[in-house]
Amino acid sequence: MIRALLLLWFASQTISPEAARHMQAGIAADKQKQFDAAITEFKKVTELEPTFADGFVGLGQTYMEKHDFASAVTPLKRALEVDPDLASAHQLLGYALLAQGYAAQAIPHLQKVQDKTGLGIAEIQTGQLPEAVANLQAALAERPNDQDLLYYLGRASGLLSKQSIDSLLAAYPDSARAHQALAENYFVLRQMPEAEKEYREALRLRPDTPELHLELGEVYAGAFQWAKAEEEFRAQAKLQPGNAEAVYRLGTALLEQGKAREARAELVRADKLMPDMPETLYSLGKAASLEGDTATAEKEWTRLLSIEKETPLAAQAHFALAGLYRKQGKTAAAQHEMQEFQRLQTGSNQSQASGKEESAH
Amino acid sequence: MSNLLLRLSILVTLVLAATAMVAPVFDVNLPHGIDFTLQNSPTPQKYLIETMPGGVALLDYNNDGLLDIFLVNGGRITSPMQMPENFDRQNPRYWNRLYRQNKDGSFTDVTQQAGLANAGDGNYGMGVAVGDYDNDGYPDLFVTNYGKNVLYHNNGDGTFTDVTAKAGVAGGGWSVSAGFFDYDNDGKLDLFVTRYMDWDTKHNKDCGGNYHTYCPPEEFPATTNFLYHNNGDGTFTDVSQRSGIAAKKGRALGVAFADYDEDGFTDIFVANDGMQQYLFHNNGNGTFTELGLEAGAALSDDGRRLSGMGVVFQDYDNDGRPDVIVTELPREIYGVYHNDGGGSFSYRSLETGLGVLSSGSSGWGVGLEDFDNDGWKDLFVAQGHVLDNVEHIDPSLHYLELPLVAINHNGRFERVDSGSTTPVAGRGAAFGDLNNDGWEDVVMTYLGGHPQVFLNHGGKLHWLVISLRGTRSNRDGFGARVKVNGQTRFATSAGSYASASDKRLHFGLGTAESAKVDLVWPSGIHQTLNDVHADQFLEVREPEKP
Repeated sequence: MIRALLLLWFASQTISPEAARHMQAGIAADKQKQFDAAITEFKKVTELEPTFADGFVGLGQTYMEKHDFASAVTPLKRALEVDPDLASAHQLLGYALLAQGYAAQAIPHLQKVQDKTGLGIAEIQTGQLPEAVANLQAALAERPNDQDLLYYLGRASGLLSKQSIDSLLAAYPDSARAHQALAENYFVLRQMPEAEKEYREALRLRPDTPELHLELGEVYAGAFQWAKAEEEFRAQAKLQPGNAEAVYRLGTALLEQGKAREARAELVRADKLMPDMPETLYSLGKAASLEGDTATAEKEWTRLLSIEKETPLAAQAHFALAGLYRKQGKTAAAQHEMQEFQRLQTGSNQSQASGKEESAH
Repeated sequence: MSNLLLRLSILVTLVLAATAMVAPVFDVNLPHGIDFTLQNSPTPQKYLIETMPGGVALLDYNNDGLLDIFLVNGGRITSPMQMPENFDRQNPRYWNRLYRQNKDGSFTDVTQQAGLANAGDGNYGMGVAVGDYDNDGYPDLFVTNYGKNVLYHNNGDGTFTDVTAKAGVAGGGWSVSAGFFDYDNDGKLDLFVTRYMDWDTKHNKDCGGNYHTYCPPEEFPATTNFLYHNNGDGTFTDVSQRSGIAAKKGRALGVAFADYDEDGFTDIFVANDGMQQYLFHNNGNGTFTELGLEAGAALSDDGRRLSGMGVVFQDYDNDGRPDVIVTELPREIYGVYHNDGGGSFSYRSLETGLGVLSSGSSGWGVGLEDFDNDGWKDLFVAQGHVLDNVEHIDPSLHYLELPLVAINHNGRFERVDSGSTTPVAGRGAAFGDLNNDGWEDVVMTYLGGHPQVFLNHGGKLHWLVISLRGTRSNRDGFGARVKVNGQTRFATSAGSYASASDKRLHFGLGTAESAKVDLVWPSGIHQTLNDVHADQFLEVREPEKP
């Protein structure tokens, strides 16, 4: 609105009254989303005042709002002929070109105005992936919850990662890292036997490579082979005693096998390495509960709830506490926890999965 | 020399250790005379019913002392299904089948002469329940269908009569499992029927994108179950609404019965698919209250929903209280709900070892039976994924699986060789002593194939098989709590998935050569038998007076 008012004031100072009236009418029509009427008015402005750059910008912008990007290009280029430094024209032209797939042509215009978002998107298309990641990260720092930015940063990072892996596979196909990369791909595709084979080969080539045991353990966990998963997580934890994730995974693998005491010891260790991780606290409570140590279970789940209040994990903790209190005969406390569980289940995206009762009434 | 002795000593120790753990050895085969094939008729349309049949029942329909086998068939499905729906059930290929056991262990197909050939063209078969609803001493059959259910009265002369219309139990929609039980202790067996969802072939959906899979249950509306009260004159009254059963919609597959809170009235556990499980507490006044969540028997220990399919409601840890085991899809692990007493359950899947045994499997029919006669009930689960193309979606899962046989060691289950080497899409499972040798056998159905019969090779430990003869209670004695040398069984033929098991109660006695038998009949009568010899089939008649 301020920009439109300034533009109007500026127009009234520099162009003829008739052109200024059309300019005003164009801005008003555009504001009401009457794009065809606005285009007619802006065209008249450009006919009456062919050296008035903002008239062309108005026309270009309206075309873009109408999603007619091809038609926007000519007036925006004309605006830049009149005023080569006009930032709004550069920005709009950059996006108009980008929208039509002309990313390389869009980049100079976006660079001119340092539009990090547009630049990042354009650079993905031109394969300038490190630059794209840097620009999108900078843009995201200003707008951290922007869905499009989050998506494009993820895409740029993924492509950059793929590019790097492709180079690795091409240059060193028999290296441990190449086998690791292949294994990770198979894991994503849930092709567990192939993933296992590649991880095994990577381990054979470089047994001390960080994360290999952890990742192989994940493969076994994904295939429900908990004893093998335990073995790999244990190997990782031995190689890297300070790796909290490895120790946590070891604890959960033990827990899945019902080895509560061992699981608990590892989870306590994980909690010391990285305190207050909600997942660790939940599993720690579960292990304690399996051992019949309800006081510790209650303590850990309550601790979790002091950290997380509205998450699915918090819902699980409420549910677990409800069961614990029910067994202790603390009916009111059990009911309260169950209500909290149901509240969170209802409010979460997992409500379908909550198993909430379905009433016929 | 000393080295040789040491090696011999180790060898002897190993041999002793191996023999100390008595594992059941099943001989898996198809007895002579059984030529049934479960025709589920899979189509590219992925009609949901295709992946859900079919039940099996073990019953002695002619009271000759030998268990006979009744198998439920699916039907023919066209692609796409023609309207009005016709599953070609008059075609012998799609008949349900009754096989009478002969003295030599072979079977004879008596379907036609028994009057069981006509399953109704509009019915696609699902499951079966067995119970003597009219107390005439002959087990009757109730067959569940997608369509109308059918009650066959056993005439006692080797034939059955379709009495559905008179009895008023046809229901409708998509029924799966059913069971006879006496919820009001009036001495007459009532009937519970699970229904899966509000679905028909016209409103089927195709899920899975390019993979074209059967849709998950959440894609279709939930529906209610049926409870029929036995009027004692050959008719039943639908009390689903009045009893409170119909107040809860679900996606029910399995059902099992036991008196979990020892109040003298049989309760109902319903395995629901993709949602919470239902525990219907019998209020003792003809009504039920669903208490699954409150009792801690509705969800996993993480509060997650379960894909409940089959269910068994028996005491796995010999504490005298009936526990619940529910079979599920992969990544959920079979739910073990331990009955803690006081109306409360705790989730014990991990402690019992089922986390490791089941997290990658899909379970259907399930039974807790003492296969090795050591005094602890073991676990059998018919397995196989719902989706016939699941490997394309997740290569770590399998459509065809071997059944799970897990031996119970003081409440913890350990897998043993099932004896089967051919993975199948297992569904129904029924349990009983087919050859009357005192060792429990299993009959399992699977999609598209012959049933598998798991004959227990047996061993040296002792056993006792009890037949109940109710007088004041229902004649089958369903609902009785029978305790033998510290083990407890709840008399029922229901449980598993869409199947009905031998109504006789089997107990492994270990090395004990005699037993003490304590019974609590549904009438409330207590009965104790001391110094009962092992290794016999014992009929226990309910005293006429308390």
